[in-house]
Amino acid sequence: MSYSKKILVFFMIATMAVLTLAGCGGGGASNDDSQSASGDVIKIGTLGPLTGNVATYGISVKNGVEIAVDEFNADGGIDGKEIKLFSEDTRGDQTEAASTANKLIQQDNVLAIVGGVISSETMTAGPISNDAKVVMISPSSTATGVPEIGDYVFRNCLSDEVQAIQLAEYAANEMGIKKFAIIYHNNDYGLSLKDAFEEKAKELAEVTNVEAYNEGESDFRAQLTKIKNYEPDALYIAGYYTEAAKIAQQAREQGLDVQILGADGFYSPKLIELGGDAVENVIFTAGFFTDDPAENVQSFVSAYKDKFGSEPDMFAAQAYDAAKILLTAIKNSGGEGGEKLQSEMAKIKDFPGITGKTSFTSTGDALKDIIKLKVENGKFVKVK
Amino acid sequence: MNAYYLQILTVIGINIILAASLNLISGYTGQLSLGHATFMGIGAYSATLISIHLGLPFIISLIIGGVVAAIFGFIIGVPTLRLKGDYLAIATLGFGEIMKNINLNLKITGGPMGLRGIPQATNIYIVIAAVVLTIFAINRIINSRVGKSFIAIREDELAAEAMGINTTHYKILSFVIGAFFAGIAGGLYAFFFRYIHPSNFGFMKSIEILCMVVLGGMGNTYGAVLGAIIITVLPEFLRTVSPVISQYRMVFYGLLLVIMMIVRPQGILSQDFDFTLFNHGLLGYKKKKGGQIQ
Repeated sequence: MSYSKKILVFFMIATMAVLTLAGCGGGGASNDDSQSASGDVIKIGTLGPLTGNVATYGISVKNGVEIAVDEFNADGGIDGKEIKLFSEDTRGDQTEAASTANKLIQQDNVLAIVGGVISSETMTAGPISNDAKVVMISPSSTATGVPEIGDYVFRNCLSDEVQAIQLAEYAANEMGIKKFAIIYHNNDYGLSLKDAFEEKAKELAEVTNVEAYNEGESDFRAQLTKIKNYEPDALYIAGYYTEAAKIAQQAREQGLDVQILGADGFYSPKLIELGGDAVENVIFTAGFFTDDPAENVQSFVSAYKDKFGSEPDMFAAQAYDAAKILLTAIKNSGGEGGEKLQSEMAKIKDFPGITGKTSFTSTGDALKDIIKLKVENGKFVKVK
Repeated sequence: MNAYYLQILTVIGINIILAASLNLISGYTGQLSLGHATFMGIGAYSATLISIHLGLPFIISLIIGGVVAAIFGFIIGVPTLRLKGDYLAIATLGFGEIMKNINLNLKITGGPMGLRGIPQATNIYIVIAAVVLTIFAINRIINSRVGKSFIAIREDELAAEAMGINTTHYKILSFVIGAFFAGIAGGLYAFFFRYIHPSNFGFMKSIEILCMVVLGGMGNTYGAVLGAIIITVLPEFLRTVSPVISQYRMVFYGLLLVIMMIVRPQGILSQDFDFTLFNHGLLGYKKKKGGQIQ
């Protein structure tokens, strides 16, 4: 046997050993799990990006769920059983989202999953969860088609369509805007918002023109010049706060002085930080408002600050509510998963959360109150 | 076997096809391609669209996906592979960006929404069959006159030309064959995960495939196989070890790659590695001593 062959054999054995060990580890764990599932713990999982360039959303979601689990455990868990949380990292990658869903269901035997965080994760993880009859509730996948994955897939966030439609109605009817221009981020989020807003706005008023921008763009002058020619009354930005702040500033530089409208992608202190004066009077839809004086909102905010040392964002709030809805349904099902939990989830009605009262449609989409926020003197305030 | 292991095995299989086919282009023919995932994407989109709109059976859609990828490989290969040097790397890089933007903006590809609701047709048996066929085909090619020409081009393009090898012809041929198998892998991917998005087939995926080839050993099919297995299993394995390691698993993953490259820069299995077990007619041709140009 030559030297190089020895090395090969070594690697083959090592690879096999690794695979075998991984197999044993998994098998052993699942044996333990089947005992404890009927014993003293209730397992739920989260999946989302904890590393990578969208990690900020995933970490917020995980933190929000942790607060909800802590609250339930402090009250003695569900029927005296402690709730155990398994959090898996997807890096925001849809292939990894599928593996983590499989891992949580097969290895950790979770009853239900809070996730995925970004829509493309839920698109691949959702069908797996649905096939395995494990309830999945996404706190933030706003894209069209997420609740339609199956009966076991729910979501607790504002759908893009609903918020765009409500804002279009508000702007046309209450603010009396006659001519809208739209600029959208060319991804699933921007496109869903744009389509819904455009349709509604055309019904109620006039849409002068629609422009797009791509991921990573920072110069919007070309699109804004075109928009300016049509002299609209309002500009709807279907995108996120980073670009929105820049668009607002560049619009002002070009003398395009219009009412700027947006959606929940605007809601971050960074909008005001980056946009300064240019984002004054911007109005957008949101599902959660940190400064809401309601008692449950303030107790969540202070619990979050105590545990993680930062202000919760919308993702954390929606995840907190999603986890509470899920845990309530588990409580109602007597700690059982599968079909029973699915029917208990579907029965949830007017759940009093920190992101408003929540019910589910027949497909599992959330029906909830939408609030409108406005930037006034460099601060967010609630409209009306 | 539970769905978690089955999924890992399926992804290993898909990655083996990708790595082995890129190895044919980069490892054996010596042409650096930075757009292998693009061909995977073309295969995935064409197979899915054909299956959805024409209602053709899965296997036929899969093969058409591979053929469409091969056609694109030809279109991109003809102008760039006539040139000597690393123009292919740049051209494939640009081509990847073009395809990504086309997929993001066309209505038929679902734009930024991606294509969803694809039926799950890929199973582990089909993947295993595809892997075996791919490796068999690539081995046969490598040990044929065509394969010897590929290797001659890698070793010295001028000398190969002097020996009467039509280098452009063989470079394009290698590229088209590689693109075909990448397209097949893409089809398998789409019909397994049931959802595809332009960002799945971007530059990072191309680099990941290249990593598998370089780690396993350029110019050795079994090296590519081993590279694909390690790169697929490692992150999942680190996830299951312990929660602490799981949190930093991408750090370990990067570290292991760096260490591997320092310890064995030629890859785990180098190109002149003689794999006697497989060369006794099990999966490929029996390799004659000295039959390979060193």
